Amino acid sequence: MSVSLRRQVALVAAGCALATVPWWAGDMYQLHLAQLIGAYWVLIAGLNLVVGFSGQLSVGHVGLLAIGAYTFAILAGTHGLHPALATACAGGVGALCGLLLGLPSLRLPGFYFAMATLAFALIVSEIILAQSDLTGGGVGLAVPGFPAPFDTPQGTYWLILLVAAVVTWLTWNVARFMWGRGLIAIRDSVVTAQAAGVPVFRAKLIVFVFSGLTAGVAGSLFGSLQSYVTPDTFIFELGLFFFVCIIIGGRGGILGPLVGTSILTALPELVAPLAKLGTFFYGLLLLVVVLLVPEGIGRLFELALERLRPRKVESAPVRPDLERLSAAIRKGQR
Amino acid sequence: MTSLRAREVTKTFGGLTALAQVSLDLHPGEVHGLIGPNGSGKTTLLNLLSGYYRPDGGAVVLDDEDLSAAPVQRRARIGVARTFQKPRLLPTLSVLDNAMLGGWREVRSGFLGTALALPRVRREERLLRERATEMLHGVGLGAVISRRANLLEHAQQRFLEIARGLVGEPRFILLDEPAGGLTGAEIEHLSSIVQTLRGCGIGVLLVEHHTDFVFRICDRVTTLDLGRVIKHGAPAEVRTDPEVIRVYLGA
Repeated sequence: MSVSLRRQVALVAAGCALATVPWWAGDMYQLHLAQLIGAYWVLIAGLNLVVGFSGQLSVGHVGLLAIGAYTFAILAGTHGLHPALATACAGGVGALCGLLLGLPSLRLPGFYFAMATLAFALIVSEIILAQSDLTGGGVGLAVPGFPAPFDTPQGTYWLILLVAAVVTWLTWNVARFMWGRGLIAIRDSVVTAQAAGVPVFRAKLIVFVFSGLTAGVAGSLFGSLQSYVTPDTFIFELGLFFFVCIIIGGRGGILGPLVGTSILTALPELVAPLAKLGTFFYGLLLLVVVLLVPEGIGRLFELALERLRPRKVESAPVRPDLERLSAAIRKGQR
Repeated sequence: MTSLRAREVTKTFGGLTALAQVSLDLHPGEVHGLIGPNGSGKTTLLNLLSGYYRPDGGAVVLDDEDLSAAPVQRRARIGVARTFQKPRLLPTLSVLDNAMLGGWREVRSGFLGTALALPRVRREERLLRERATEMLHGVGLGAVISRRANLLEHAQQRFLEIARGLVGEPRFILLDEPAGGLTGAEIEHLSSIVQTLRGCGIGVLLVEHHTDFVFRICDRVTTLDLGRVIKHGAPAEVRTDPEVIRVYLGA
């Protein structure tokens, strides 16, 4: 079986497994967890392009999630807009806020950029408290669900799965074509990116705006799952959690962060003793991964695959083929 | 004839003059050596030509376009590539991916088009993959094309830098000490690659310490000392110039 065929089979199998979760999930609580993972993933998939690919350490995406959730709650709840339209608006507002935040801050070097996103998350939370006419202040706001056929837990799950699948597909495309190489160049060697002609600031900004869009959409889904949001729903630790999911999953991949998100969301809830540990569990896992597999869980898969199909890494002396070289160069000059 | 020119460029770093009114022109299809003792300004000049520094005086010009204040990316677009003294590769990506990055100039698809995997994106991808594969085989990295770049030996890294530069189909390529750390046999390969580039009409600037290699392969050589050109001319002239011998080559 060829690699691409094997990959397609795996993809179809995974798709079937995910689509049938409502039937084999043990109880409603497990289904809720699956919904939550999906909503988080919509945000994290976009954030992954920022953190995992372009290497911009944003810890403030919880602010964008809050903006998405409140936009959705206000438009769909208070003003009675159709939830689909409200979700689109939440994505648009998220993208706009991403633009406004990214424009001044993405020129800052790594550490200062992280601080700027931290400040952003704190400011958003204060604004939500202050604008109580709009947001309900500390009391919060009820968030409507989605209309039929998405009004049941199963329906909501499938809706989230659909959105998550689309977002995953979009980010996968970005990752596998030239943009992915350009973003990783920005992460690993800015001078190389510049020398190749990658418009560094513009690329970072565009990806950041996209992550704002997915955060806004994720906010709608997350908000309606919670059915009620207050400023305390969007604590700073949640922003850190998104960030940690990507680091544990591994930078520069998509499957790794997806697995990271699933494990970090589900494990503390499903394994009771871990729940008692709470944040300690995240801290411990982060420490173990960073110390033992700094390239993340995703790299473990790759290494396991390489173990299955061992290739001899033998020394291959450089031996130019000058005719081929000159043919390749001349081809471009014609 | 178009050439990449530095016109009396001056560069100072906080009162220290790294380059003082240095001129150099690089023609298509010639190999131009740039030599001089450490700290003479070779890498500074290369960084001015490739846009990492802006000159404090003078100008960098190509095709009548003043590039002095143009960003580095503009060079790639109009066909000036460079390599780095210390190879700067993307360690987690394959050799092929690293080489393909050099073809960014070809990318016309925006972020949105890429996210939607439009046919044009797939076409660009195919074209660059094919071109990078050919270049890699050409410079002799065919056997390691899918290896992660952090597993490469030193010489392979140096040759990958050149291949990455070539995938952008440059008219000029600036090589920053490409022979550094190579064995004699590897320098022979490098030399044959540089001659092939010349044969294809590419202008090569060779910043190098291996003077034997430079004098053997270059059409013209410029010697810098303390930020000034002390001798410029054919290899034979430069090699026997008393001033060059005094400050650099030694007796």
